Amino acid sequence: MPAIETRGLAKTYAGALGKNPVHALRPLDLTVEEGAIFGLLGPNGAGKTTLVKLLLGLAHPTEGEGALFGRSIREPEARRVVGFLPENHRFPAFLTARETLHLYARLAGVPDAERTSRADALLARVRLTDAADRRVRTFSKGMMQRLGLAQALMARPRLVFLDEPTDGVDPVGRREIRDLMLELRAEGTTLFLNSHLLSEIERVCTRVAILDRGRLVREGTVEALTATERLWRLRSTPVPDALLAGLDGAITAEPGPEDPSGLARYRLAVPDRPALNALLDRLRAAGVEVEAVEPMRQSLEDLFVEVVRAEGEPTL
Amino acid sequence: MTGLLLLTLRELRAKKIVLGLFVVATLVWVLLASALQLDVVDGSLAGARLFGQEAEFGGVVDPETGEVVGEPEVPFGAETVLEGLVFAAEAFVAGAAYWVGILLALFATGGLIASLLERGQVDLLLSKPLSRAQVLGGRLLGVGAMMLALLVYLLGAVWLVMTLKTGVWNPRFLLAIGVVFAMFAVVYGVVALVSVWTESAALGFIATLALLFTSLVLAIPNLALQVKAPWRQLIQGLHAVVPQFPGVGVRIVPQLATGQPVATWVPLLTSLAFGLALYAAAFALFRRKDF
Repeated sequence: MPAIETRGLAKTYAGALGKNPVHALRPLDLTVEEGAIFGLLGPNGAGKTTLVKLLLGLAHPTEGEGALFGRSIREPEARRVVGFLPENHRFPAFLTARETLHLYARLAGVPDAERTSRADALLARVRLTDAADRRVRTFSKGMMQRLGLAQALMARPRLVFLDEPTDGVDPVGRREIRDLMLELRAEGTTLFLNSHLLSEIERVCTRVAILDRGRLVREGTVEALTATERLWRLRSTPVPDALLAGLDGAITAEPGPEDPSGLARYRLAVPDRPALNALLDRLRAAGVEVEAVEPMRQSLEDLFVEVVRAEGEPTL
Repeated sequence: MTGLLLLTLRELRAKKIVLGLFVVATLVWVLLASALQLDVVDGSLAGARLFGQEAEFGGVVDPETGEVVGEPEVPFGAETVLEGLVFAAEAFVAGAAYWVGILLALFATGGLIASLLERGQVDLLLSKPLSRAQVLGGRLLGVGAMMLALLVYLLGAVWLVMTLKTGVWNPRFLLAIGVVFAMFAVVYGVVALVSVWTESAALGFIATLALLFTSLVLAIPNLALQVKAPWRQLIQGLHAVVPQFPGVGVRIVPQLATGQPVATWVPLLTSLAFGLALYAAAFALFRRKDF
């Protein structure tokens, strides 16, 4: 059973006096399988937060349906197996960390008998044991984020929504959160990750979707989305112009600053390894000295910018 | 919903609201207990001192001797002067709880609905397996529980003090707890609706004060007769709808506090109906709202 399934799920906000409605999310068909770490990307205003809100019942769909583990998103019970860490979450400042976990565990339906042990375990897991009895108002941003994660996990959810989970967290903390996400995945928990840090998404997510102006524009595994045609990067002594012209575009110079060592960078477009070696042989026969050859991959950031620009969205 | 109720009570405690109102309530009954000295002989009031001064109960003062002669006046239809004194004290406290206590409680708790709806907090609450009604209901129950507990404490303590000091038994005074609480709930309905609609505690409080002011104006005797149509019809319509805050405060609360029969419950009933409509609207709006 998919963890998340949407069919034509859409949200339109009515404009003032019924004019200029805002289509925050166009009809969306999306499936997230159980056990995945699913990354949701998109520029500001793409509809990412709207989608999360619709799935969690914070906003009402204008059309379409959604389900969490087969249960309609319109039912409160659908959220019994869900944990949520919102961006800019606010805990009651007068509660201690332990009290905060107890409160949200109670609201999530965690039995009394389980709350204390579960809270202690999670406080240890997010390294907040020493601060367990301190008031939340004394917490730093990073501590608040870790407490938020612990809160999201109190009810042993099968599906966890994380909205910018590493926001405001130092590099060490980010690494710990990444490791925690991978641990959760190993335990079978499905993660739905909304983040602007593409490098984070690229490292942990098994599948990624890119939204732009309310539409789903790409979806797939990170490998599939970032795979390019067989491209190689060559670093060598300069290739004679005559040879460059004679190779029918199989080798093109890479733009960029001059290498102080006098070497040049080229991009090789070849269909397979034998063709690569044949090309290298021709270059060496022409006196070109090869320093390095490596396969090229498009980063997720490159893909993201390429997709968004293609959709006509300004990047600044 | 229990979690929301407990969170609300905890928030009230953290904001020192409960403590402040508890202190005020305690001062009231402690002051009453210590300031009122009664000399009761064989069930009759032989003398009374208030803040150390002898209390007079009417009658005629002889200009030559300076002594009070004749029968003392017995207020509130009491059978004895002592009973009248008890009724007077209890009516005063019930009136203060109504006219001042409700306003204080509104001021103290008016921000709780808006704080529930703050981004980051409401996201966490609504993402739990709770219906919207449970979320809002839990908050309202917490406010109601606090107010009811304080009223029981204040009026219950005053009743106990007066009963033990005088032996006068006036259980109907305790009914004032229910009436004061009911009117607080009605007025808080305005706070709830406006706060859910606008997410602003200030607007909720302003709207409540505006409603109370309107009810005071509408209570002016024969107001409708003093204006022409269509204002007359408007005033008559408003009179039928707007909670009769002064009406309850003048015609029901004192009667209960002094053991007298209530001539009409209509002001309370119409106010309760208005309050129910407010809460129904607040819940409906909260259920449909996007966050």
